[in-house]
Amino acid sequence: MPSTVVHAGFALLLAAGLLKGAYDRRALALILVIVVLPEADTLAGPWIDGAHRALLHNLTIPIVVGVWLYWDTHHREPDQSWLRRRWGEWGVRVAWVALFVHLFAHVLLDYAHLEGINVFYPVYDRFFRLEGEIAISTSEGLIQTFVDLERADIGAGGTTADTHVANPVELSPDPEPDDPLLLPIADSGWQLYLVCAGLFVAIARRFQDRRDA
Amino acid sequence: MAPTLVNVAIGVLLGLALLGVALDRKSLAIVAVAAALPDLDAAASLVIYGGTNAVFHTLLLPAVAFVGLYWDTRYRERSWLASRYGWYGVRVAWVSLAAYVVAGIGVDLVHADGVALLYPLHDRFYAVVGRFRLSDQEGIIFTFVERGEGLLWLTSPGTTADHHVESWINPTPGTGLEFGIERTLVVVETGWQLIVVAAAAVAAAVRLREES
Repeated sequence: MPSTVVHAGFALLLAAGLLKGAYDRRALALILVIVVLPEADTLAGPWIDGAHRALLHNLTIPIVVGVWLYWDTHHREPDQSWLRRRWGEWGVRVAWVALFVHLFAHVLLDYAHLEGINVFYPVYDRFFRLEGEIAISTSEGLIQTFVDLERADIGAGGTTADTHVANPVELSPDPEPDDPLLLPIADSGWQLYLVCAGLFVAIARRFQDRRDA
Repeated sequence: MAPTLVNVAIGVLLGLALLGVALDRKSLAIVAVAAALPDLDAAASLVIYGGTNAVFHTLLLPAVAFVGLYWDTRYRERSWLASRYGWYGVRVAWVSLAAYVVAGIGVDLVHADGVALLYPLHDRFYAVVGRFRLSDQEGIIFTFVERGEGLLWLTSPGTTADHHVESWINPTPGTGLEFGIERTLVVVETGWQLIVVAAAAVAAAVRLREES
């Protein structure tokens, strides 16, 4: 996985742009917790084969939560909405931003990394990964290699039975007790960049708030 | 260099995060342009040898802008920018400057092509590449910073004389406009760039719909 720190950096950048009036320390803390949470499926790895990047890294959860959130905050009468009654407008805002951040800063970022994610787990058990490039060339026109339409290749990989995404809890499908403990923070320049960009925005917002106060 | 679309996407995300009450269609467009601006040095490289990722990717330009902006908005008794465009103008100017540095130069700095950070004072490309890991056997592995031959402790792919950064404007080393050669405009290079662009597009659409 791009490390949890990278997810958190990108999450900060996105959350600062979307929270608006709900931007406060409590909201940021909550969103950071939600961004870290999916990594808990690494802990299920020793008991369930291929749990990491499947159990909590899928689109099934965001779709279900999104439908419920829409029903509760848009469809129901405002005085009936559970979220609004309990947490007010702040809660509604933070909930939507948390869903957005979970989707883009965690699930989709992992979709473009290593073996990808198990998109519709547990409904349909198959890993998918996003890999390719888009370019416009004078000789070949528009080139797009993310999906191969001729071979119907949309980045499908294996299932939970034969796919293992390396993680600090289990480096390989059959971990040995003396495996090294390896915690990646940033494995490339752009990963380090996302961490720094998130920190930059959080610090810049503090400067702005102090000046506006 | 990293695709300009990625610079713009990061710039848009910075704009959404930092513009605050000054956010509208116009201010976000200005910030996005500021993030794309450094990549114009690809056009300058048609005249200046090895100018891509150097001429406008130097930190000296934004440093001058910073001094000017600081002097005008903080030091002077009557700021020209504030009297002309008000609080809105001051905020947009600062966020645009941040987008130029962080999104315009920063994104290209973490790309293997590198950026000539101190051009023309110090002619050398630098790139922040490497890894940062914690291991129980090897301790802290941090290879982004390395003592090299350059002035800064970063990986250096070369100087403007021997390192050419390809672009669709100037694909081959050297100056002058060439005809009949293949040109490739890279839109996104990898999956994560596509996700960043998608996130920026959706976030901007949502925020601008709310503001209007």
